[in-house]
Amino acid sequence: MNNVLEVHDIQTFIGQYHILEGVSLEVPRGSITVLLGRNGAGKTTTLKSIIGLTPPKTGAVLFNGAEIQGKPTFRITGQGIGYVPEHRAVFRDLTVEENLRIAERKKGDLALRGDFIFNLFPDLKRLIKLPGGHLSGGQQQMLAVARALVPENTLLLIDEPSEGLAPVIIEQMIEAIRQLSAYTTVLLVEQNFIMASQLADRYTIIESGRSVKSGQMADLVKDGDTIRRYLGAT
Amino acid sequence: MQVSLSRRWQKIFSGRGAQGWVYLAVFALLALFPLIAGLTIGNPQAASEGAGFFEGLLQRAESGYAKFWQGMLIQMLILSIFAMSYDILLGYTGILSFGHAMFFGTGGYAIAILIGQHFNWPFFQALGAVVVIAVLQSLIFGILSLRVKGVYLTMVTLAFAEMFFILAEAGDFRQYTGADDGLHGFPVPAYLSATEHRTRFYYLALILFVLVFLAARRLINSPTGRVMIATRDNENRAMMIGFNTFWYKLIAFVAAGVFAALAGALSALFNVSVTPATLTTFRTIDALAMTIIGGVGTLIGPILGAGIIQLLGYWLERWFGANWTLIYGIIFMLIVVFLPYGIVGTLRRRSFGWKAGWARWKQLLTGKAAPG
Amino acid sequence: MTGFLRNNRTILLTLVFLLGMIAFTFQGLEPKVGMSILLSGITLAALFFLIASGLSLIFGLMDVLNFAHGVIFVLGAFVGLSTLMNPRLLFNTLPFFLSAAGGVAIARHLGTPLWQRVNTERGRKILWWSLLVLAFALLAFGLRRFPIRTLNAFSITTVGGAVPTALAQEPLGLMIQRVAFLFLAGLPFGLAVAPRELRQENRRAALWKSIAITLGLLVSAFAILLLRDPGEQFILGLSVDWRFLLALTAGTLAGMLAGAGIEIVLIRPFYGNPVTQLVLTLGLMIAGTDLIEAVWGEESHPPMEPPSWFNGACRSDSLIAWFSEHCRSIDVLGRAFPTYRLFIIFVGIAIFIGVGILLKRTRLGMIIRAGVQDSEMVQALGINVRQVFTLVFALGSGLAALGGVIAAPFLGVFSGMGQIFILQAFIAVVIGGMGSYTGAAIGTLILGLARAYGDHFVAAGIDLPFLANTIKGSPAIARASTVLIMAIVLLVRPAGIFGKKE
Repeated sequence: MNNVLEVHDIQTFIGQYHILEGVSLEVPRGSITVLLGRNGAGKTTTLKSIIGLTPPKTGAVLFNGAEIQGKPTFRITGQGIGYVPEHRAVFRDLTVEENLRIAERKKGDLALRGDFIFNLFPDLKRLIKLPGGHLSGGQQQMLAVARALVPENTLLLIDEPSEGLAPVIIEQMIEAIRQLSAYTTVLLVEQNFIMASQLADRYTIIESGRSVKSGQMADLVKDGDTIRRYLGAT
Repeated sequence: MQVSLSRRWQKIFSGRGAQGWVYLAVFALLALFPLIAGLTIGNPQAASEGAGFFEGLLQRAESGYAKFWQGMLIQMLILSIFAMSYDILLGYTGILSFGHAMFFGTGGYAIAILIGQHFNWPFFQALGAVVVIAVLQSLIFGILSLRVKGVYLTMVTLAFAEMFFILAEAGDFRQYTGADDGLHGFPVPAYLSATEHRTRFYYLALILFVLVFLAARRLINSPTGRVMIATRDNENRAMMIGFNTFWYKLIAFVAAGVFAALAGALSALFNVSVTPATLTTFRTIDALAMTIIGGVGTLIGPILGAGIIQLLGYWLERWFGANWTLIYGIIFMLIVVFLPYGIVGTLRRRSFGWKAGWARWKQLLTGKAAPG
Repeated sequence: MTGFLRNNRTILLTLVFLLGMIAFTFQGLEPKVGMSILLSGITLAALFFLIASGLSLIFGLMDVLNFAHGVIFVLGAFVGLSTLMNPRLLFNTLPFFLSAAGGVAIARHLGTPLWQRVNTERGRKILWWSLLVLAFALLAFGLRRFPIRTLNAFSITTVGGAVPTALAQEPLGLMIQRVAFLFLAGLPFGLAVAPRELRQENRRAALWKSIAITLGLLVSAFAILLLRDPGEQFILGLSVDWRFLLALTAGTLAGMLAGAGIEIVLIRPFYGNPVTQLVLTLGLMIAGTDLIEAVWGEESHPPMEPPSWFNGACRSDSLIAWFSEHCRSIDVLGRAFPTYRLFIIFVGIAIFIGVGILLKRTRLGMIIRAGVQDSEMVQALGINVRQVFTLVFALGSGLAALGGVIAAPFLGVFSGMGQIFILQAFIAVVIGGMGSYTGAAIGTLILGLARAYGDHFVAAGIDLPFLANTIKGSPAIARASTVLIMAIVLLVRPAGIFGKKE
């Protein structure tokens, strides 16, 4: 099994709206794969469909070779998928420590990986007793990523980690994601093409609910046509 | 076959354009009801000697079962007005109010107190005052409760209505409201007495019903109504386009309040009594139930729902005695579960059909996935 | 220090306001009058809190506005009353629940393969409802002609005495038949609530576990049935204190079970559809009140006998004296105050602290607090949120039922008692901010005090500077005035004192 995650032609409806009309992608083990596309193309819905928050109506999602579509979300993520949603979704009323502890799947997860996490995000150690709602945007983003690292996850889904962050923080974030990708596989949604091109090995482009192009990131950087056509003038 | 049939139903119930004749037919049927009832279930002995056919028919309509069923229909019409007014809020503006009984009860109390011994106002002046009171009341409580949204609005309206209920029941205003006994036997003008002139009262109710129906339809199809519907679907978007949704919600609140107050006044006149029960949450729940059973977001739905609930209540009470609300509650829950869009809504969506239902069953039994 | 002040600004301001209000009202009163009003207010607040806290948690976590909460309160009171006065009802109904639970336990285990055969959303929905209908049909058939009202005629029993033998006990054979039918009714219900997929665990061991549970439940059902006569004599022979404790336990358990049942059957299939859920709880409120009247009758019962600790025919001078004397009332600044009400206050505070610790210190509490903000994210972390939902629903309902039992010796027991309380609880929750636990506590405190002071001042008369006459009124005026408090709070803070802005 070379691919941690394979998505085969999923179609997702939200209410009566047909949001995904056929998305396929694969995420090779150990890679950073990025989902590119314009606003509203369906990138976030793809992530949510993978973990069953918006379950796909047809198509298949394979995680480590086993079908997971149609299962309840907590079963899917319980198998080892970490999810970092957009807008961070840090629990505001919980302290930083509780935000991390709630993600434990086995007792002692946090103790086991705490050092690694606090190495990656030294700020969090200092803020450990503070409620999540009192953190700055950048700190909340770090906490959200850290939370996904607490249990043993073989795949991380990270949605727009650079959104609304200052350039200095984005640099930190890129560095952190690069470091943690040594341990797990990452599927990233990112609007910021520069960040995406620095990080990713592979890409998949989504355009109005369909996956239209996949390949190596190194090829895409050279392919000005495709970038202009699907991602706007960057 | 099934498709064409449901299409036809759909056309009838969709309430747009060329179905005027259906409305006319239903209206004509309702208008002729006293005569038909007089002919079929009225007491033949009630017709006086030497009266002409038509005159005799009217006299027969004032007797026996004909009189009783006219009474039932009058109550249905009153409830329909009440339910339609509720649907302007719930179905067309997306406001889940739990205080609608406030307007219904206040309308009843207003007319009873104003034509009663303390004020002795002429009838039509009192009726005008009911409208004025309803406008003021809905403005005040609309402005107060529309400040908050969602569940908060539901609870706030519930609390306001409960406040009126408590005050109506309180002994402090006994000389005006009759406290927990309510008001009975206030001087309804003799020409409107529902016991003496049942048929006349029936036509009064019918005319008011048609007027409210037309007014509500006019409101909903007007540009104002479109903004209300836009507010229901997505308030933020409506605000972004540049509408001050607060005013449109307030308009809906006032319109609904006035219609409900008229229904309440009519109900008070028909029964020649008002009790604090007209102000309870259960009254609001009635409106909610009628709207939901008939179909939220339609005008026909609440009317159908009112008819069904009135009949259901009557039969259930006859069959099950005092504990009929238990059965009523269960039936209500079943309808909500199985017809989530109400009767009219389900017909319009065509999501109900025996054939499709049977197919679903077969598919379930064989365990095979649906073709296509 | 400044950080602490800033973080808890709302709560501190509210407390200062409350203290100011109390201090202000004390000015015009004799201390003993003021004190007893204060205590009455807190008593009411404690009762309101037991209802409001569950409502608020349920709403915060699941967005369900639970109108059926008041019915649970009444249910608790009646189950408590039954336990205390005539346990015959319990002995004759408990086996039903146990055997039905046994059926559920075994069928829950066997149901998963059935669900895996049905692949479509539609099919699953139909299967779910047809199994439920089958379960209810069997239930209705099994329970037909069960003479619940005669078993339940505790109004005739003298307090502490035995059930008159003239009241016929149900024949054993008939009861066994019914118990068997309820086991059958439990089967389709168990199939309906079976997990939708196989877990990775050891199937064989799990099967043995289910069989053991089922057998245990069935055995205990028949044991209760066989032991019902000596059991009844035993309970009625106990002192009133033990029976009160038993009543508390039974009432709370009944409330929790009812709550869990409501969540599983009516609420769970409709998440994401709040209006349907609300309307269903409304329907339940209508039907539930009638169901209670069908079982326990429409007549109101006088206040239940309180434990002997609060029932001595004397008046203690102080709390310390009360510990040895167990008097009915206690001297507060020269005025008698019922000690049972102090007990209500004590229970209210204990529950407030206990649930607070649960929320603050345990993993479950952490999940609840996180779920109040974003239950989707909690699920995405690999936590079975639905299970937590059921648990919280049961917990909240249990608190309401506990409130019902506690209120029974204070208010009496009647089927309408829920409706009086549910509205005030709603108002308290709105004032405090929906979904906030602290908010529920503060909201109920404000409301309880306002009611107590309002009652006093409305009855004593208020002198307004611009009116010549003193305004006097009935308690109803004070009851209606709480709505004004709510309106004022919402005008200042549209989401309540502790509510989050949307």
